[in-house]
Amino acid sequence: MVPLARRNLLSEKARFAMSIAGVAFAVLLILIVVSLYRGWSDVGRFYEQLPGDVWVAQPGTSDPFHSTSFLPLADAQRLGNVKGVKTVIPVYARHIAFGEHGHELDVFAMALAVPRTAGAQPRTYEPSAGTIAIDGMLASQAHVGVGDSLRVLGRPLVVASVHSGGNSIFQTAFLNAADARALFGIDELANFLLVDVVPGAQVPAVAAALRRALPGTETHTSEQFATSFADRVNAGFLAVVGVLVAIGFVVGGAVIALTTYTATVERAREFGVLKAIGASGGFLYRIVVRQSLIVGVLGAAIGIAASVAATRLIRSGVPEFIAVLRPLDATGVFVVAILMAIAASYVPVRRINRIDPAEVFRA
Amino acid sequence: MNAPLLRVDRASREFGSGRTLVRAVADVSFATERGEVTLIMGPSGSGKTTLLSMIGGILRPTSGRVVIDELDITSLRRRELPRVRRELVGFVFQTFNLLESLSALENVEIALNIAGVTGFAAEERAHALLREAGLEQRLHFNAQALSAGERQRVALARALANEPRLLLADEPTANLDSDAGHDVMALLRGLTESKGHAAVVVSHDPRLREVADRVLWLADGRLTSAEPESRVRPSASVGSPTPTTLPTLVLGP
Repeated sequence: MVPLARRNLLSEKARFAMSIAGVAFAVLLILIVVSLYRGWSDVGRFYEQLPGDVWVAQPGTSDPFHSTSFLPLADAQRLGNVKGVKTVIPVYARHIAFGEHGHELDVFAMALAVPRTAGAQPRTYEPSAGTIAIDGMLASQAHVGVGDSLRVLGRPLVVASVHSGGNSIFQTAFLNAADARALFGIDELANFLLVDVVPGAQVPAVAAALRRALPGTETHTSEQFATSFADRVNAGFLAVVGVLVAIGFVVGGAVIALTTYTATVERAREFGVLKAIGASGGFLYRIVVRQSLIVGVLGAAIGIAASVAATRLIRSGVPEFIAVLRPLDATGVFVVAILMAIAASYVPVRRINRIDPAEVFRA
Repeated sequence: MNAPLLRVDRASREFGSGRTLVRAVADVSFATERGEVTLIMGPSGSGKTTLLSMIGGILRPTSGRVVIDELDITSLRRRELPRVRRELVGFVFQTFNLLESLSALENVEIALNIAGVTGFAAEERAHALLREAGLEQRLHFNAQALSAGERQRVALARALANEPRLLLADEPTANLDSDAGHDVMALLRGLTESKGHAAVVVSHDPRLREVADRVLWLADGRLTSAEPESRVRPSASVGSPTPTTLPTLVLGP
C-alpha cells in the first residue's frame, strides 16, 4: 500500500514533530501523576515488611499511621496461649513532632518489642536502647546521619542506622521498645499486639481465635492495613489524579485531532481526487485513522520512554516523591492513547464525508 | 451488432430550484464506441464538465440515463458509484490532480490500491503504465518535481491503472504548452486504440480535433451539432502512435 498517511504527515515535518511532542508530553504528565499516586498508595506496604501476621487492636482502628489504639500489655500474655500463635510482639506507635536545625519535622515512630532470640542479629526495627533507626528521607530533612544525635521528646537519641524509604508524606523511625514506653508514657500499655503465627497455621482461623480470646478487640492482617492505607490515599488523591489524567488525555486527544484535522483539510482536494477516482469511504477513513494512529502511537511510545526516565530521575533526584511506574499502567495508557487516536479521527472523517468529488473539476 | 460502450440518453442536470433553477445540461444524447475518441467542445459554462461528471458517476442526472458497457449507472445507489469510478471509468483532469506528497509511481499505485491491488502486483503494473507513458526515468520523482506534461502523463497512467472501459478527460491540455499538449493527446489517442476502451474529452482546444474521431458541440447545455467522423482525426498529423512507440516520443518539459 502507498503510505499516504505517513507522507501527508511528513509533508509538514515541524508540525508532525510538534504533534508527537504534544502527545508524548501529555502521556508523560499522565504517567508521572499515576506513578506518584502509585507510590503514595504503596506506602502502606511498609506494614507487610514487619514481622508478624495478625495485628490485634482496639475496635475502630484503620491502620497505625491513621489511627491509634491502646491495649493492656498483659493481654500479650493471654494471646500467647492461643493455639497457632508463635510470638506476640507489643507494638508502640505514634506520630512525633520535633524540631531539628530550624525545621519542624513529623515522624511516624514505631517500636516493636520483639522477643530476643539468642545469637540473632538485631533487625532495623530493633535498635538498642538510646538509639534510633530513621529512614533516608528523615535523615535528609533533619540533616543527620549515623552517629548523629536527634532530640526526640526531649531526649537525645543516637542515630543507629539509616534505612531506605520515606517520602514527602510518610517518614518512619524505629525506637527501642523500652525507650518508646518511657517516651510515650505508656508503661502498662501497648498500642497494638502483632501476632506471629506458627508456620502452617491458617491465619484467618488464628485471627478468629485471637478475637475470642480477647473480646472487644479486632484483628487485621498486615495486608489489610496496607489496603486500608491505600484506601485513605485513594480517598484523598484519586479524584485529583483522575482529573489530571483526564486533562492529560483530553490534551493528547486534542493534539491528535487537530493534527489529523489540519492534515485532512490541507489535503481536502486530494481526498476529493481519491473520491473521484473511486476510493470508498472506508479507504479514505483508513488513511485518516492511520494518520491519527501514527501520531498517537509514536507520541505514546516516546511519552512512555520519557516517563521511565523521569521516574528514575525523580527517585534519585527528589526521593521525597516516590514514583512507581507499573508496566500495567504504561500499557493501559498506551492502549487508551491508541483508542484516543482512533476517536480523534472522528472529526476529520466527518470532514472527508463532506468533500464533494465534483470539486476536483474546478481548476 | 455490439452495443455502444457509452450511451448517454436524454441526460439533463439541473441545479437550484424556482427562480434560481439552472439547467446545466439539457436532454443530451449520444453514444461512443470502443476505441473511439469523442471530443465535446463548447464555450465556458456550456455544461461540458457537468456532462462529464454525470458520465463519470460523480453527478447524478436529474433525468435521463447514462449507460456504460450496458450498465445503467443512473440506476445505481449512491454508495455503488465509487465502484463505477474505479472499475469502469478513468479520469484525467485539467489540473492533473496528482497527490503532491507521492512519487509518480505511487500516484499510479494508489489508484490500484483503491481497487484492492496492493504490494508487488500494484507496483509492477504502475511501473509498466509509466514506462508506456514514457516516464521510466521519472518513476521516483515527487509529483511536484515533474513538468506539466509529465504530470499529465502520470495522470493518464493513473486513469488507465484499473483498465477502465471509458476514459474521461476534462480540458487535458489546458495547462500544457503546445508540444506537451500534442504529446499527451497523441498518447491518449494511441492508448485508446490499443487498449480498446473509449475516451470522452471535453475541451476548448480546437487542436484536439486532430485526435478525435468525432466532435460534439455543446451550447447552453444542449448538444447542437456533431461533426462527421470524416471531418476530423487526420491521424497522420499526430503520427498515429502505437503504444510501443509512445515511450520514444519527444515530450515537452
